[in-house]
Amino acid sequence: MLFNSYEYLIWFLPGTLVVFFLLGRRPFAAQVWLTVASLFFYGWWNPWHLPLILGSIAFNFGIARLLQPGPARAVLAFGVAANLALLGVFKYADFFLVNAAHLVGDAPPLLHLALPLGISFFTFTQIAYLVDVYRRKAQEPLLANYALFVTFFPHLLAGPILHHSEMMPQFADTSNKRPQWPNLAAGAFLLTIGLVKKVLIADTFAPIADAGFGAPATLSAPAAWLAVLAYTMQIYFDFSGYTDMALGAARLFNIKMPINFNSPYRATDIRDFWHRWHITLSRFLREYLYIPLGGNRGSDARTAANILATFFLGGLWHGAAWTFVIWGLLHGLAMVVFRAWNRIGRPLPREVGWALTFAFVMVTWVFFRATSLDAALAMLQAMAGMNAAPALPALAWLGEVATRLGAALTLPPAWTLVAPAIGLLIVWRRANSNALTMRFQPGFANAAFVALALPICVLQLARVTPFLYFNF
Amino acid sequence: MTPSVHRENARENAREDPEPGSARTTAARRWFVASLGVAVAALVAIGGFNAYVDPFQQYRIPGPYPARYYTSLHRYIAPGLVKNATYDTLLSGSSIVENTRNSAILRACKGAGLNVAMPALTAREQALLVSTALAAKPLTRAILVLDFNEFSGAPDERNPLAGPIPLYFYDRNPLNDFPYLLSWGVLVKSWRIVHGDRSDRFRTDADAPWWWAGERRFGRDEVVKKLDPRNLNAQFQQPPRELAGMQESFRRNLRPMFISYQRTEFVLVWPPYSIVAWGDFVQRRQLDLTLDFKRWVFETTRGLPNVRVIDLQAVAEITHDLDRYTDLYHFAPSVNDWLVEEACGERFRVRRDNVDAFLDDLRRQALAFDPRKLGGN
Repeated sequence: MLFNSYEYLIWFLPGTLVVFFLLGRRPFAAQVWLTVASLFFYGWWNPWHLPLILGSIAFNFGIARLLQPGPARAVLAFGVAANLALLGVFKYADFFLVNAAHLVGDAPPLLHLALPLGISFFTFTQIAYLVDVYRRKAQEPLLANYALFVTFFPHLLAGPILHHSEMMPQFADTSNKRPQWPNLAAGAFLLTIGLVKKVLIADTFAPIADAGFGAPATLSAPAAWLAVLAYTMQIYFDFSGYTDMALGAARLFNIKMPINFNSPYRATDIRDFWHRWHITLSRFLREYLYIPLGGNRGSDARTAANILATFFLGGLWHGAAWTFVIWGLLHGLAMVVFRAWNRIGRPLPREVGWALTFAFVMVTWVFFRATSLDAALAMLQAMAGMNAAPALPALAWLGEVATRLGAALTLPPAWTLVAPAIGLLIVWRRANSNALTMRFQPGFANAAFVALALPICVLQLARVTPFLYFNF
Repeated sequence: MTPSVHRENARENAREDPEPGSARTTAARRWFVASLGVAVAALVAIGGFNAYVDPFQQYRIPGPYPARYYTSLHRYIAPGLVKNATYDTLLSGSSIVENTRNSAILRACKGAGLNVAMPALTAREQALLVSTALAAKPLTRAILVLDFNEFSGAPDERNPLAGPIPLYFYDRNPLNDFPYLLSWGVLVKSWRIVHGDRSDRFRTDADAPWWWAGERRFGRDEVVKKLDPRNLNAQFQQPPRELAGMQESFRRNLRPMFISYQRTEFVLVWPPYSIVAWGDFVQRRQLDLTLDFKRWVFETTRGLPNVRVIDLQAVAEITHDLDRYTDLYHFAPSVNDWLVEEACGERFRVRRDNVDAFLDDLRRQALAFDPRKLGGN
């Protein structure tokens, strides 16, 4: 079920919330209800994936039980390896088979397995849990609690990636089973912000990016930059909008999840960017990969190798394709260069650092968005102005896309130009949704915003577009 | 996380857990009830307004305002028509039957007719629509005009040109109608209907809702000017077909209806494409495959007493007369009228004793056709 769907907003979320609070006097029943509702949410598209997630939960709970009497490295290794194997089979098997075929020149039959939704997220969440149990940082004796931790629907499909220790005390708190009006208000506010980001802003950028990436060979250089800028905005508003909706929904249930975005496009260096973009993934990779590899405790060369390995795997986590690997490696390389530059002790002016970081992030999105290496190179070629005969000048191209989009949305084409302007303003100048929610005080202005924005967004849902991160 | 976010978080945590009944709780409750209340009330009002105006005729016919048949929104309107209109004879086909009047079906078949043609129709869509009609009411007759292209590709394949298909209309479950009731695009249409705004492209003639013949010229010159005699497929660029795939599509999509609704007579009509279309099949080496498929359709439905096959493709006085066409597939309204007359008659019915004659005649005509004699580009 998508967060930006009628069934979610009109009956699933309100219904689950009302029954949860009606059962509030019986906390265990409320918890079981939330788990069942989350599994229903997960199985909405493909019930055949339910046994997979249920099996994964049972397996990891069992491994954690084996780890609890005393740390057993072999048991941990087995548990982590099994999780990675599950991810490997469903997500990476065909990628490895294709590449192996290139190497040995023999093409084995591909598995063509459907990628279960959210498998990267629930697998990483559970790997983190096993490691935390091994480190004596987490312990969960009840399967029901553990199942809710893994399946809680706001984070199940696209994160944030959670620590057991930050969620279980909240689930255990019986006062959280009763409606708390401040949380209901703040949650509704944040959810509406997320919906606006996704439906009104990200989905407006999407056709511009799609048109550009769909035919890079026809683009003039400015048009290519416009398309890449559109994708830069689209992916931020799409993913951060989704995260806001997730955090907002969790807040309705009195659960606070960690923030995942903090105005990443205001970052003034690449390390700052990764402290602001997909924060819980960065945290996972740092705590469970980079530091165990040795972090920055060894030589410069060793640290650089650790950074590159972490970003290589971070890229691969996003998708089984070389485009993601290159995207990850480019960011890893930028981190290595940034560390070396820092050693020199001559920091760049803030504005220059911001401009360099934004331009780098934008250009590397080309690899993230392109469907193949060839397509990525074609787009880079267009951005460099190396296309022989561009079809249209940049503004004419944008105008054509805007006209098509405007017709599809029953909106004036100018909206396509207004929405990106609003998007850029939000990204660079306005308080982000975390700050707005933290400062949230019930008032007329934010009530009017929700009362107006919620119906407007719902009215735009008929053109449902999947969240980009469901692919990962 | 930056330090300022940590500070904000700590400040917010200090405000946690207000006492029930405290000023903060009361303010939050009022805020929540008021903002969500207004939002929900607005959505209920919009949904109610769209349901009342019902621009796609999903709930009742006639509605409170004159019906609008929007050009290129066939897939949104047709399911409402099949559920709510008064008829007992259904005509389903691609754009080639859009110029058929419902009154012509009544005249020819002696039953109230409903034409629910859809451009770029596929077998899956045809089955979906006809099944929706059959689930809604008993039908005396369903005339399915078959187009070879509708069986191209996988059994559930759709033509990307056709736009999205709103599956929530093709059932009897009003609980999944939110995309209709709560849609900005539908709201705009409802508003325009109420205010008499005619900005959209639509027709109002319920007898000929999809009629486009007035916008096109028919005649040999019109057909020939768009043709390249060396590559007759250049104009429409139809994909190559494959017999097993076409059979699978027919088996999966259409055949189950014939078995499930035995009280309805299904008339399968092979429409009269111009002879140029058959020349195209010859050029693309698709002739044998096409004729084999026709024979297979007959054989596979022969044992079903409620299915008749009508073949109009070898009627040379129609198909060789290019003045009746606007391109190699689409014919003039007079041919549409003739098609429904023959669909409800017996003259061109395919039987065991004439199937070979129909196919041999067609093969002979196709092979004898010389595109170079057309002139053209």
